[in-house]
Amino acid sequence: MKHFSKGLIAGAAAIVLGFAAPSVNAATPDDQLVIGTSLAQVLSLDPQQATEAKAIEIMSNLYDRLVKTDRSRKILPQLAESWEIDDKGITFHLREATFASGNPVTADDVVYSLARLLKMDQAAAANFKRIGYKADNVDKLVRAVDPKTVRIDLSGETTAELLLYRLAMNVASVVDSIEVKNHVENNDYGNAWLRTNSAGSGPFTLKRWTPNEMVILEANADYVGGAPHMRRVIVRHVPESQVERLMLERGDIDVASALSAADLKTFESQQGFEVQRVPTGGFYVLSMNAGNEYLANPKVREAIAYSIDYKGIEQTIMGPYGRVRNVPVPEDYEYAVPNPDWHFDAAKAKALLAEAGYPDGFSLTLKTIAQTPRIDLATAIQGSLGQVGIKIDIQQGNGSDIIADHRARNFDLLIPQTGAYMPNVLGSMEQFSSNPDNSKEANNAGNFVWRSAWDIPELTALTAKASLEPDAKKRGELYVEMQQKFVELKPAVLPLFERFEPIVVNARVKDYVGHPNQLTRLEGVTKTSD
Amino acid sequence: MKELTAIELARRVLHLIVSLFILLCVTFVIGRVLPADPVGAIVGELADPAAYEAMRVRLGLDLPLYQQFFIYLKGLFQGDFGQAILTGNSVASDMLQAFPATFELATLAIIISAVVGVPLGLAAALFRDSFIDKFARVVALVGHSIPVFWFGIVGLVIFYATLNWVGGPGRIDVFYEGMVEPVTGMLLVDSLLVGETEIFWNALSHIILPAAILAYMAMAYITRMTRSFTLEQLSQDYVIAARAKGAGPARTVAHHVLPNIAVQLITVLAISYGNLLEGAVVTEIVFSWPGIGQYMTNALMIGDMNAVLAATIIVGFVFMLLNFIADISYAVLDPRTREVAR
Repeated sequence: MKHFSKGLIAGAAAIVLGFAAPSVNAATPDDQLVIGTSLAQVLSLDPQQATEAKAIEIMSNLYDRLVKTDRSRKILPQLAESWEIDDKGITFHLREATFASGNPVTADDVVYSLARLLKMDQAAAANFKRIGYKADNVDKLVRAVDPKTVRIDLSGETTAELLLYRLAMNVASVVDSIEVKNHVENNDYGNAWLRTNSAGSGPFTLKRWTPNEMVILEANADYVGGAPHMRRVIVRHVPESQVERLMLERGDIDVASALSAADLKTFESQQGFEVQRVPTGGFYVLSMNAGNEYLANPKVREAIAYSIDYKGIEQTIMGPYGRVRNVPVPEDYEYAVPNPDWHFDAAKAKALLAEAGYPDGFSLTLKTIAQTPRIDLATAIQGSLGQVGIKIDIQQGNGSDIIADHRARNFDLLIPQTGAYMPNVLGSMEQFSSNPDNSKEANNAGNFVWRSAWDIPELTALTAKASLEPDAKKRGELYVEMQQKFVELKPAVLPLFERFEPIVVNARVKDYVGHPNQLTRLEGVTKTSD
Repeated sequence: MKELTAIELARRVLHLIVSLFILLCVTFVIGRVLPADPVGAIVGELADPAAYEAMRVRLGLDLPLYQQFFIYLKGLFQGDFGQAILTGNSVASDMLQAFPATFELATLAIIISAVVGVPLGLAAALFRDSFIDKFARVVALVGHSIPVFWFGIVGLVIFYATLNWVGGPGRIDVFYEGMVEPVTGMLLVDSLLVGETEIFWNALSHIILPAAILAYMAMAYITRMTRSFTLEQLSQDYVIAARAKGAGPARTVAHHVLPNIAVQLITVLAISYGNLLEGAVVTEIVFSWPGIGQYMTNALMIGDMNAVLAATIIVGFVFMLLNFIADISYAVLDPRTREVAR
């Protein structure tokens, strides 16, 4: 028993000491920026592989691209100092920059990076493949003219402008080809290594990444634009919204994203914090499986469009997350058409259902990821569709199983979300308006419309035509036509709300500006003392 | 309780192995029939079918289930748990990183719960129906019936956000990150090993709240069991005799009750310890604690079955091992069993 009582005393001592410990000063140091968010979906930090939003936010600071877009959606120079556009392609002139390794940034690095993207052929390549850049033609279309000049020929399926926007995406980040080639294993283009290391010319380098715990970035003192103000940036995994809120209030973190609507609300009236509502150009969508006998009928889809209380949901559920919009183009984009007159009208919806031959309604399942605000959105839709005679059974799940069902066309109704890769009609609408082959055998699960089995040959052709139209005015006319056609067809991928990404920033932090495509850069961020 | 012979011991070891194998089979089958899509998680939502299929083949998911199981088992015997999708590392190295964090948390929790729970249970029994007994019963009931999740949030609001007594979520304040190289993986130990007392205090201020909350859950059970063990002893003739001879409560407990309930207590503590490792899952999420519970939850979310399997097997193994040790210690330590054995 002697041992036992000894342990007892030691344990008691430990507790007493624990409470007597000096209380910690919570405020983050002035030269370190701490961001709280959920890192659960960050699986890779290889820019030619990862497409997840949080991963992009981190990588956009590790790498530079030829060009960038700012919040005003203009194409601006980044690694390319200038460029000339002609009928056949674009010639880029690089600035004098170096990678964090000390190697100079050359045309070869740009060529290698784009070839790497297409030859690794992961989901990240989709946006370039859609406009005709493929593994087997990239070596011909992208080449180094001299060490500081890169020539990219048009593929024949795109205009120069659309190509520039794609080159501003994170997937087109320029990697240090010498460094990456040193880490190639089994022809993997250095992927295994680059997933957890950085080889870029951006303002920060990757110091450490512990999955689901944190990412630590360190300032790149030799950055071409000058050393960033922050010595370190720490992105912390805080999966619980309420906990994240406490940490922000206490000053343990400086920036919080992934907060629930309720927790966000508390900061709107709180002094010392700024709530940013970053537009993504994407949407919360109600996907209807046109392979379903009821949903194949445009009348039924129109009835559903009239069965949702958009305004009510916007006010009570979406809050900072969304704004009503039933055309897949944000209303402040150039050439955006006004919203169709879809609103909650039970009588009209019932009449449409009766016309379609279903006066007594029917039952459907609605699948959604159990996540703010989608789960509340599902419940609201269930309620209002119930009023017009469509009985909804909600099935919720985690990301991987709901996405798998979406890919397999295994659903009646489903609530996905989208994002826009460029700030114009095509950038946000393309996913909704192109489905080259709707057959089951095509198995084109990467296509958003295919997943809903919605066959739209005319709209697909229009989209392709708009992508190729070099004349801005004519392209604008096509943009308007695309949107009108979309509404006319009673979409099986019905946009509900334009999607915003709300973030809360401590007022100590200056010049933290959320980017519409998560390409938020941190080199200009400064912090004042308490 | 049977006597502890070599045969009996072997029987129990065999039992342990069979249980573990069943756990392995069940987890494996459940993992593979779940509608999760690990391939989609790797190649991304928009990958084309060819890239998707290539990854499926690379992961061996195109093989029949029994073959997949056989391959998995073969790897397991070589200490290879496969590769984790979540991190890209081998699952084994991930486990080596995550397990110490959970182990540290659960160990501190069991110490706290024993230090508080056992005396409370003893006192409740000695002063039966008094104020202290009622208090202990309420404490135990509350601890047993309120979810850890709620306790965690409330604890953070009070002790972290309002009173500023403890550190926040995570194992350490961010600006200390990366200053102590992991040796054992347990920050409290590692920081002391290199003499970084400041980091030790910081780590302690972070672990004390989640550990205390976890401990409370276990304490409820420990208090109740200690009370009933003690009551049983107090009604025994020898205790009544001792008290009649004038032994005070302290002497009664130290010399008569404790030695006799020690073995039972060890069993209770071992079971609680196992439960704590399991119960750490929710606590780890609330406190952003990078342990095995959080690792497993995240792995489950993306359908990373290699990681889920390994975490389940390890937690299951430790749980069974603790039970096994408790069982054996019972046989070894209980004087009555020893008597029979002779």
